[in-house]
Amino acid sequence: MSWALASIIDAGLVLGVATMLCGLAGIGDDNADAVAFTCVGAVLAALAAVARRRVAPPERPGTGRVFAGIGLLWTVLVLFGTVLYAGTGSLARLDDALVESAAGFTTTSLTLLDAAEASRSVVLFRAATSWVGGLLAVWIGVVTLPVVLRSTALIGYTTGRRGLDLVPSASTGRRRVLILYSGFTAACVIAYLLTGLGVTEALVVGLGTVSTGGFTGRADSLAGYGGATQAVAGVGMFLAGAGIFVVWWIARGRLRPLWRSQELRTFVVLLVAATAAMALHRGIGWGEAGFMAVSAMSTTGFAVVDWTAWGTATTVILLVAAGIGSMMGSAGGGMRVMRVQLLMGSAGGELRRQLDPYAVVLVRRDDETLSQRTLDRLGGHQVAYVVLVGVGALLLGVSGVSLLGSVWGSVSAVTTFGPAFGEIGAFGLLEGVDRAERLALVPLMMGGRMSVPPVLAGVGLVMNWYKAAVRRGRFSVRSASRRLEALVESRSGDG
Amino acid sequence: MASGPVPEVAPAGHSPLRDRFASTTLHILGIALAAVSLGMLACALLEAATSRRDTLALGASALVAGAAGGLLWYLTRPSAIRKRDIFATVAWTWILTTVVGALPFVLAGTFAGPGADFVEQVVNSVFESASGFSASGSTVLTDFESPGRGLMMYRQLTHWYGGMGVVVLAVAVLPFLGVGGLELITAEAPGTTSDRLTPRVSETARRLWMVYIGFTVCAAVAFFVADGFSSLYDAVAHAFTLAATGGFSVHADSIGHYDSVAVETVVIVFMVLGGTSFSLHWRAVTTGRVPYHRNSEFRSYLGVLAVASAVIVILVWLENGLPLGSAIRGAVFTVVSLGTSTGLSNATGSGSPGDYVTWVAGAQLVLLFLMVVGGCTGSTSGGIKVMRMQVLGLVMLRSVQHSQSPRAVIPIRLGRDTVSESVVSRVAGFFLLHFMLVIAGLLAVTALGGDLETSLGSVVSALGNMGPALGEAGPTSNYAVAFSQPARLVLALLMIIGRLEILPILLAVVPYVYRSKDLARVARR
Repeated sequence: MSWALASIIDAGLVLGVATMLCGLAGIGDDNADAVAFTCVGAVLAALAAVARRRVAPPERPGTGRVFAGIGLLWTVLVLFGTVLYAGTGSLARLDDALVESAAGFTTTSLTLLDAAEASRSVVLFRAATSWVGGLLAVWIGVVTLPVVLRSTALIGYTTGRRGLDLVPSASTGRRRVLILYSGFTAACVIAYLLTGLGVTEALVVGLGTVSTGGFTGRADSLAGYGGATQAVAGVGMFLAGAGIFVVWWIARGRLRPLWRSQELRTFVVLLVAATAAMALHRGIGWGEAGFMAVSAMSTTGFAVVDWTAWGTATTVILLVAAGIGSMMGSAGGGMRVMRVQLLMGSAGGELRRQLDPYAVVLVRRDDETLSQRTLDRLGGHQVAYVVLVGVGALLLGVSGVSLLGSVWGSVSAVTTFGPAFGEIGAFGLLEGVDRAERLALVPLMMGGRMSVPPVLAGVGLVMNWYKAAVRRGRFSVRSASRRLEALVESRSGDG
Repeated sequence: MASGPVPEVAPAGHSPLRDRFASTTLHILGIALAAVSLGMLACALLEAATSRRDTLALGASALVAGAAGGLLWYLTRPSAIRKRDIFATVAWTWILTTVVGALPFVLAGTFAGPGADFVEQVVNSVFESASGFSASGSTVLTDFESPGRGLMMYRQLTHWYGGMGVVVLAVAVLPFLGVGGLELITAEAPGTTSDRLTPRVSETARRLWMVYIGFTVCAAVAFFVADGFSSLYDAVAHAFTLAATGGFSVHADSIGHYDSVAVETVVIVFMVLGGTSFSLHWRAVTTGRVPYHRNSEFRSYLGVLAVASAVIVILVWLENGLPLGSAIRGAVFTVVSLGTSTGLSNATGSGSPGDYVTWVAGAQLVLLFLMVVGGCTGSTSGGIKVMRMQVLGLVMLRSVQHSQSPRAVIPIRLGRDTVSESVVSRVAGFFLLHFMLVIAGLLAVTALGGDLETSLGSVVSALGNMGPALGEAGPTSNYAVAFSQPARLVLALLMIIGRLEILPILLAVVPYVYRSKDLARVARR
């Protein structure tokens, strides 16, 4: 049985349970929605549970199949969300439902839904989509790639040896990650409850914090909440951006790996630098600056203020912070701190080689030395990432968004941050954005969420399929002309 | 390049050269300054023969540059160059030539507008000089009528010097240099490697300059004919710009001043040729065959220009509502101008078909992409270069194939040639450095008060040596309006960094240049 199907079944089980709980929580608010969500969730969970007993994932799936499976998995999830939003009438149009669903599962803080008008089930389901999306992102980054593929060539996409501690095997790793992720969510929700939020609001913001999804129950994100809530959100975003390993180390009381993690140190230094630069340059309050820095770097998308009015330099700092993104093993997006570190090391090595072409320059990460092959692959990844952003900006620009809105919107969607300078704005509201532009954001969010390799694998599969088809003669120029002639003949015969 | 004790190269037998101070850096700087002073002197003569307004400024500048250059040339002798000296030589030669090249503007008071203090005049002069020598074409000049013809010609001449490179010029002049000559050219020349046209490096440099001079003459003649034999001065001035893929014009509205399809066609042809490798031109001239179509980079270069033109024509025609003829005229000229990093404009005024800042965002994004790409390696154009983009595209495709089969060994081929892995990693490193510099430049310029759109366009434009940018720094506007004084200095530095393709300036300031020997020893151990 294919790896993709097994993954979809696993994800379906989690999503089914989550949807059912959202439905149950909505009873007493809008019963029609509540019943619909409960029933759909229950059926999905039951089907997935039955299928899970019959389907065993393959022991050693091929790399291409795993990457293609990841792409398929996210596509199926987004379509499920679309059907549910459209089916329950939460969003009248199918394209709007698609955008909302894609934003949710890709943990991008963009929304079309008016949370004040929507039923409790819908608001909770929206938060649940980002929670499930975040969980899958962590599973894939921490369990699937390093353990299932066991390929050192993929080390640039994974967490390396330190992952072995948390994830000794695929099944144990998946279970531990689920427990940690759920525990972290519970802790966040309790913390929000303690700051005075209602249960629904605490759940929505809590799910949005842990998954780096960034959804709240209000149109102005966290701007209207109290200082305590914002402080909890800041700490929560930091931990979510730092990743599941940091949560694991903290949960086990192990401080040594925390100090030894090069990536964590860089993450903290970048956050402090971004905060200080914004605060000192524009005289913005340190609290607000720090909050927005951590929101951008974790790619959560929460906002406590309309930061687009902060001036150009500060918005560039936030853009760069979102571009760098979170740490490996987190639910956040962006290039990832680790990859940026490695690429900088690689660029430094190139400078050194200019002076001495025979120099052996080693690029290290924590206690591992990376091969030139891995660095080359990371280079390819970086190029693909930039190309994705460029193509996205072009798509948005052609569909009518302003120049800055296109660039910012593309970076923001690909990094799964959400809010953007220009038409989208600081709170990630898509109401003012045209339909074509909204739809253009969907492939960007998905490409960014899947962190490019699955997109590349998808392209590779299409290329292979095309080559095979050409080899079989289905796409040769001669066969095409023959078909064209046949078509013309049949048309003239009809005439 | 081998490290360790390096033998000094000197002619056999007794020579007065032996008594001179051995420094290739100062020697090359001296030659470069002397060459620039000759240009200043020629322009002073032109000024004296025409308007006579800035004769003294040009003459005095020629004297200062000539004296400084002559002294450095006479008092020093070249020694064999070590790797660490190469980048420092190129970087310092360019920085100091730019500073000295600003003298005529300062002395003539070119930027002494109302309210402009001395510091602002100096900043503007350095900016204009950096823009000239780096063949960018960004300008802070607002009054095109006041400066005399000699000074305006000097402004064009800075492009011409910078286009082929003052260091290449110096190498061509030097009778001997020992090892390191080719590295010097490579460090200055745009591209990944430098073609050795002849076994002797100085001969290679001389031939490159010969092709360059020939190209300039052809451009001047063609322009003169297309303009209806109206002004030889205009033809020569624009020929300097075209050969160097610069962007300066003697008119405020650039090529739009002529509003002539014939002139624009000639300019387009020479911009395309200017963005092509000069080694290809050399082969075409010497062998009598046309080698262009066999070069994969050239084919891709034309492909990029054609596709970008088509896309922009469609966008501008449909979205901006321009008539198809005007859309084609404006789009093709602008695409070729920015795609070759020339930066000339055919806009006849704000809002005219060639004023691309009024185009739809999608079209401007395509132009931004062209600003990043630039022309071919071995040409006078800026940007990342088409060949590097080809390699990067193939690296990305290799990633696609690796995602299917992670252990596959997949070489990267350009045409029939296999690109070595060292070149691939150098290209990837260059792209990364370019990307980081864009971000750093953007942060600096926005922090100094630039608006986001203008800053983004200008930083990309400065690093790619384009000239005009987006927003307030568009083809009908001016950098003096768009940026503060410190921001202009940052952009001037970015232009020099972009012209030298980043590495020489970075390596001249990075501390491990001075520790390279130790590092290499450690690495080998």
